[in-house]
Amino acid sequence: MKALIKPVILAFFISSYGISSYAQDAVSILWKVDKVIFAPRDKQGKVKMILKDKSGNEKVREAIMMQKGIDKKLYRYTQPESQVGVATLTLPGDETWLYMPAFGKPKKIDLLAKSQAFTGTDFSYEDMEPRTYSDRFIPKLLEAGQTEYVLELVPKSAQSEYSRVVAHINKANSYPVLLEYYDKQKKKIKEASYVFEKIGPYWNAKEVTMTDLRKSHSTRTLMSDVKFDQGLSDELFTVEKLKQ
Amino acid sequence: MDRLARNIIKYRWVTIVTVLVLTIFLSFQIKNLRLNPDVISSLPDTDPDAVLIKQVSEEFTVNNMGMVIIQADDIFTGEALEHIRLITDTLGMTPGVASVISLTNVTEIRGGEEGLQIGKLVDAYDLPDTPEELADLRNRVYEKGTYTGTMISEDGTTTVIIFTLAEDSDVKTVARGIKQKTLALDLPEKIYFSGSPMMATHISDVMIADLQRLIPIAFVLIILILLLGFRSARGVIFPLLTTIIAIVWTIGIMALGGFEMSMISSDIPIILLAVCTAYTIHVMNKINQEREKSWQKATLKGLQYIILPVFLVALTTAIGFLSFVFGTYLNMIRDFGIFTALGTIFAFLLSIFFVPAIISMLPSTVKTTFKLDDRIKKSYLSDHYLAPLHALLFKHPKYILASWGILLLISLLGIFFIQRSVDVKDYFKKNDPTRIAEEIMAQHFGGSKPIFVRFEGNMQSPEVLKTMIRTEEFMKQSPYVNSTQSIADLITQLNFALGNGRSIPDDPNQIEQLWFMLEGNELLRQFVTDELDKGIIISRFTSPDVKDKKAFAETMRKFISANSTPDCQIQITGMPFVDVTMDRSLINGQLKSVTVVVICVIIILSVILRSFWNGLFASVPIIAATLLLFGIMGFTGISLNIATVLVAAVAVGDGIGYSIHVISYFNHARKQRKDVREALQETIMVSGKAIVINVLSVAGGFLVLIFSKFVPLQHFGLLMAISMVGSSQGAMTLLPVILILVNRKKEASKNKRLNESTH
Repeated sequence: MKALIKPVILAFFISSYGISSYAQDAVSILWKVDKVIFAPRDKQGKVKMILKDKSGNEKVREAIMMQKGIDKKLYRYTQPESQVGVATLTLPGDETWLYMPAFGKPKKIDLLAKSQAFTGTDFSYEDMEPRTYSDRFIPKLLEAGQTEYVLELVPKSAQSEYSRVVAHINKANSYPVLLEYYDKQKKKIKEASYVFEKIGPYWNAKEVTMTDLRKSHSTRTLMSDVKFDQGLSDELFTVEKLKQ
Repeated sequence: MDRLARNIIKYRWVTIVTVLVLTIFLSFQIKNLRLNPDVISSLPDTDPDAVLIKQVSEEFTVNNMGMVIIQADDIFTGEALEHIRLITDTLGMTPGVASVISLTNVTEIRGGEEGLQIGKLVDAYDLPDTPEELADLRNRVYEKGTYTGTMISEDGTTTVIIFTLAEDSDVKTVARGIKQKTLALDLPEKIYFSGSPMMATHISDVMIADLQRLIPIAFVLIILILLLGFRSARGVIFPLLTTIIAIVWTIGIMALGGFEMSMISSDIPIILLAVCTAYTIHVMNKINQEREKSWQKATLKGLQYIILPVFLVALTTAIGFLSFVFGTYLNMIRDFGIFTALGTIFAFLLSIFFVPAIISMLPSTVKTTFKLDDRIKKSYLSDHYLAPLHALLFKHPKYILASWGILLLISLLGIFFIQRSVDVKDYFKKNDPTRIAEEIMAQHFGGSKPIFVRFEGNMQSPEVLKTMIRTEEFMKQSPYVNSTQSIADLITQLNFALGNGRSIPDDPNQIEQLWFMLEGNELLRQFVTDELDKGIIISRFTSPDVKDKKAFAETMRKFISANSTPDCQIQITGMPFVDVTMDRSLINGQLKSVTVVVICVIIILSVILRSFWNGLFASVPIIAATLLLFGIMGFTGISLNIATVLVAAVAVGDGIGYSIHVISYFNHARKQRKDVREALQETIMVSGKAIVINVLSVAGGFLVLIFSKFVPLQHFGLLMAISMVGSSQGAMTLLPVILILVNRKKEASKNKRLNESTH
């Protein structure tokens, strides 16, 4: 009997060590991703959003984006003309504000369902959440390839619209190349592909294409005039400033 | 006729090869034939309401919407909500489904002092299940009001999950997928499917099932009747073969011409099977009667007589079918008429070219052992029906005439009780799930008959949106309009949620910015075009009564003409409006088609009999049979609908054949210097047999339609069978009696003149 127990215990320890080291690897890979993406103290630039439906019809929007740290983000629309001045502001603590100049007063939006599309794009409010990946997901390493890691990210929140996200991470620079989103029925519903470029010391996603596979609809965001660490003040990210 | 008969024999090989080549070629075309169960596509381009419905279907995604109906004792239970979520998820996962909205995933936008709350009515993955949570949900649902009658019934027992199909998806594949996956969940609640994709797919599936089930039954039945009538393999093979070839040619040409098979034309094979065996039966019957040493000579002699009557019979039948072209509303009925007429002509051509071509090549030895006349005389039919009938005709001609008179008077009375029906739900039997679904939709969700009010103008203009709201308020004044939906409603709700009152903002900029919040919303495409230059109000009409529909149409048209401006052009359409026109066209169509056929029949009979009055007399039996048909419809409550409207014209066109055969044979016998009694005896004994066999096979063929799952087709089959029996009996009793009485009168006046001249 003892002869039988020993190898079993040994195998258990070996396997749990394996699991734990794999989990450790996954956690550290994701931590590195967060470190790359959220490295700048602040960031600003122009964002062009090209919304494309299945018939190939395109709608273009343009906005000025400002971000400070992880959880302060402002979009102020400059195109189309009818939306000039419309702004969204996200603040720590899941606080979102919407400003529509025609109404003159910012309105707080209580997002009870984060699966809502972010201003008509294919990104949901959940996709745009101002929190690190490590904060939102439990990672698991699925594959360590020559050029990339494949991580399975399981949302920590039961409210998430996803059951898991499969993330393909560039091995050399730790930025995501492709994110595949699966719904609660384990069906792939969306995918986001990223093109990163290095600006100064930081890696920046200059192009992100999110495709909603259910609607055959995509949103391509292109970033330009990107500037990092400009010392953006906290005042810019206040409800009062939204009106300007 | 003699030359034609000789040429038919001379060029028989050409005929046989041509038929073979054509049959092979056209049978390969059949695989390209497409089924089209969509009634909307069959609406005519001459009706402005129909044109507008088609236009609205193209501009907005309204036609791609379907519903899964869930019925339980109470929808507000943890179990029922869980099942709704399960079906919602299942639909969402079905390929080709673009969007799904149910109680478990619907977005809620609420306004408050602080701001705007955007969320879901319930958390799909943490559904309410305690009595308090469920009671709270019930309150929120009914307080909001917009869900009642659109997503949940007032009594809380029924809910609908609304889905839209992706624009490029194959409707039938997706609809079948939805049905199969939902039913596979095996849930305890009652589940039904509604909406145009589900209805169209159901009709298509029933059409296929009908064809697969009914065609073999029709075949077996006709084989049995032919076997009993002729008691020879040839008597079965030839009529069936020619009809099958005629069917292959007809369907093949339909496919070749890019026509689609509709709910009505799917029964062309069965109708041709029932109608067209007659031509070959008559041709063979005549050839068999000729006592010649070889089949070739018998064929030649038989053809010289039979071509004309069979041609006339086929011609009147084809006219019966073609008469729909003049009076029909639905394109599918017009196509049905054209192609069935074509099939009839093919069957006729085959019976006089192809059948004689083959028969003339049979070995002559067979003919000498085949004594058909003896068989006729000794048959059960001759002894027990034809001979006593002949005796009765001469014994009591006036009684027979009086009996018909009484029958016709009763039938005339019945005509006043004929009902009309244009409601799609009446297509299905009472226990059919689609019919139940339609009834549930009518009872709890304002029906499934959509009304569309189309607006042309800038959809972001406050004036246009305000006119939309005014129109909706006006529509809701009708007791038959429960709810309306439009982009103006969404804008009003959003404006209210932002704390600006339940109204359309006056400032166009405000509207444009509210629009920003709606971007990406699935509902948007349903209500406005991408260019934002057109929008619609979607509503439903609850009353099935044509009078209510007419009154509503009238009120709405007045409102529209008073409110339509160059910058905001308004039009209204919808199935209730189409129903009004369709209902009117049932009567017009019926009158037009029957008039066309009866006039043609009188002309044809007048030509045969070389006298207009004789032609009119000879038409009496068929007119009598038609009156009888309408009387039966009135007294049995079988309504005039898209299929039964076809019966009268087809019955006249096909049923007159019996009179033509009787008159042709009677004239033929009289030319051989036989007196009226002898001529009629021979007519009844020889033509009568073919008529009885033919009636049995035609009526049997039509009766097969009783097993159809479509109620109109069941009624069509039943009424056609009754009409065939009626017109054959008219031809074999009423017509001979008229001939007897007319000839007696002629004889009497002739004798009188003779007596006068001798004195």
